[in-house]
Amino acid sequence: MPAPGSASEVDLSVQLGRLSLRNPILAASGTFGYAREMERLVDFARLGGILPKTVTRAPRAGNTPWRTVETAAGMLNAIGLDNDGIDAFLEHHLPYLRELPTAIIVSIAGKSHDEFVEMTRQLDGRPGVAAIELNISCPNVSGGVDFGTDVAMCFRLVESTRQATSLPIIAKLTPNVTRITDIAQAAADAGADAISLINTVLGMAVDWRKRRPMLGNVMGGLSGPAIKPIALRCVHQVAQAVKTPLIGIGGIATIDDVMEFLVAGATAVQIGTANYYDPTVTMKLMDALPAALNQAGVTSVREIVGTLKLA
Amino acid sequence: MNPLHAKSYADQAVQRTVEIVENARLAKDTYRVRFKAPEIARRIVPGQFLMLRITDLNDPLIGRPLALYDTVVEADGRPEAVDVVYLVKGKLTSRLWQMQAGQRVDVWGPLGNGFCQEPGTRGQEPGARNSTTHHSPLTTHSYPPIPTEHLIMVAGGIGQTPFLALAQEALHRKRYGEPPRDMPRARRVTLCYGARTAEYLACVEDFQRLGVEIRLATDDGSLGHHGLVTDLLQQCLAEHHGRPHIVCCGPEPMMAAAAKIAHEARIPCQVSLETPMACGVGICFTCVAKIRQPDGSWDYKRTCVDGPVFDAELVEW
Ligand SMILES: Cc1cc2nc3c(=O)[nH]c(=O)nc-3n(C[C@H](O)[C@H](O)[C@H](O)COP(=O)(O)OP(=O)(O)OC[C@H]3O[C@@H](n4cnc5c(N)ncnc54)[C@H](O)[C@@H]3O)c2cc1C
Ligand SMILES: Cc1cc2nc3c(=O)[nH]c(=O)nc-3n(C[C@H](O)[C@H](O)[C@H](O)COP(=O)(O)O)c2cc1C
Ligand code: FES
Repeated sequence: MPAPGSASEVDLSVQLGRLSLRNPILAASGTFGYAREMERLVDFARLGGILPKTVTRAPRAGNTPWRTVETAAGMLNAIGLDNDGIDAFLEHHLPYLRELPTAIIVSIAGKSHDEFVEMTRQLDGRPGVAAIELNISCPNVSGGVDFGTDVAMCFRLVESTRQATSLPIIAKLTPNVTRITDIAQAAADAGADAISLINTVLGMAVDWRKRRPMLGNVMGGLSGPAIKPIALRCVHQVAQAVKTPLIGIGGIATIDDVMEFLVAGATAVQIGTANYYDPTVTMKLMDALPAALNQAGVTSVREIVGTLKLA
Repeated sequence: MNPLHAKSYADQAVQRTVEIVENARLAKDTYRVRFKAPEIARRIVPGQFLMLRITDLNDPLIGRPLALYDTVVEADGRPEAVDVVYLVKGKLTSRLWQMQAGQRVDVWGPLGNGFCQEPGTRGQEPGARNSTTHHSPLTTHSYPPIPTEHLIMVAGGIGQTPFLALAQEALHRKRYGEPPRDMPRARRVTLCYGARTAEYLACVEDFQRLGVEIRLATDDGSLGHHGLVTDLLQQCLAEHHGRPHIVCCGPEPMMAAAAKIAHEARIPCQVSLETPMACGVGICFTCVAKIRQPDGSWDYKRTCVDGPVFDAELVEW
């Protein structure tokens, strides 16, 4: 008899379009470095997948500090996609990442349609890359075109990247739009394997004594428990509108949070800010997941996804 | 081991929920909190830090970096507990000082690079260019293992906290790390320590007890030199007590001034930067500082994994 709560009793595997994952707990892009940093704190083999920090075509120094500010039950960030560019990523980080015993989903952000497509081609066929997540939702990059707020551009981008690779494509959307279902519909129509919801919520913090914004970049993205209700709402709305599998992101830190997102319609979840303030949080969630599913009376993750009862 | 693997990652870190053993007032707005965390106590070396968060509290949400003050060694000689000295400043510390023995905090560590890593471990990784390629801390020249003859510790504000453990190590009173690391013995150890007023000066007796030479400064002249701690450093250097090595921790303008003095006198100097952090382990890119590259340009480096201790020559102030 397996111990109560042991994973052998329940089927944790999930399917996101063409992407099969061992379990639904993933580490969100930008909140897990390039995984190497977490090597001694987290057992990668227990994760459903890892999304390394978003890479861009050219290296980016990132924004001037301060880059993050804590706010009530959350934080604002304006890191500005500090990264070495895709060539350095392929040379320095991928060789490490591809050896890890979990799915690596590479997050990319282009300044233009063509940059996205070009990076997709660079990743196509690389051993160790399980899927690509299109970060069309970062609020901290000025000059970049906002693919996440324009239905036509989102459609064309997902379609082109789909054609540029045989890898599964995930579109990561921003909540900073009037109707997120419109953008999600475009991504779904263009053939996205999955849709990630949500990136950070645009916000701001002010030091009234100095009469200055707290962030070097003035505005930034809000994350953490403070945004969980917004993320749940987005997952719920999009789940009602499209058939494409969803990945819930936003303030997830406890097993109850995970279960809420699954019930609301997410097939998997990504853990973001919680990694910062509780570096072993993903392990705690994996410890608790089987028992929570048992408690819900199901024997697989699949059975609970989107089971929200609307009177 | 992966060749790109830097010594500076949270390679030895553990995360634990621990109970506060005691929380003692040391000076105005200054406290020492002790908690039992044997794995951290055994591994941590001077200049390293840990992240601390109040368990299950969502506001403040994010952990705060705090330097090792000292480890507490049990009768069997094994380090069991960690002492951290903190200044009450904002959201977290104004709650922490009110916490009682038995209440719980989350800690993870040891993190970052301590003072005086052995030479050779601080070299530039070939091919590393930007802050996101992972490599060990940078230096243009490796130091002889310090302390040479005269270790001069320059502290401002709450910047004295990492120096007690360092002084003990340099005076061969105590060893840190697993396995315990060896340090060449310093003939003389001096603490130049400046604070706003006399009532903020904390831990001075601990240094005195070790036999550290102490020079104090206050902004208002209420004790010691009326003026800057860097004046004390200059006086100290003028006395020529043997080949010096400077270590420095405190407000940025003070560290910049000390670095300038060290540069002009061609004395090796290490600074411990107090950049705000959010994760402490290298995954958020909050804590960047401008660090000079071999080609003369600067790049943003994460102080939590590439520092917090840097060669002062490499910091763009
Ligand atoms: C490696 C390291 C070791 C340290 N060791 C010690 C130690 O041993 N003892 C000690 O007392 N302190 C130490 N510090 C400093 C300590 O971490 C901070 O003072 C701590 O954040 C205080 O937390 P708080 O919640 O009380 O203050 P907070 O509420 O975080 O505010 C502290 C101050 O920082 C400012 N601030 C807030 N957010 C930001 C931001 N995003 N960027 C810049 N400034 C901001 C606020 O205006 C305020 O003045 C260390 C820092 C580092 C990096
Ligand atoms: C400091 C920071 C950096 C981030 N960087 C990225 C990034 O590079 N790419 C990306 O797609 N999302 C990035 N995000 C967004 C997260 O992946 C996530 O979508 C968001 O923070 C909401 O989830 P959370 O509340 O669990 O953090 C970042 C978030 C934070 C807080
Ligand atoms: S504090 Fe997060 S990267 Fe340094």
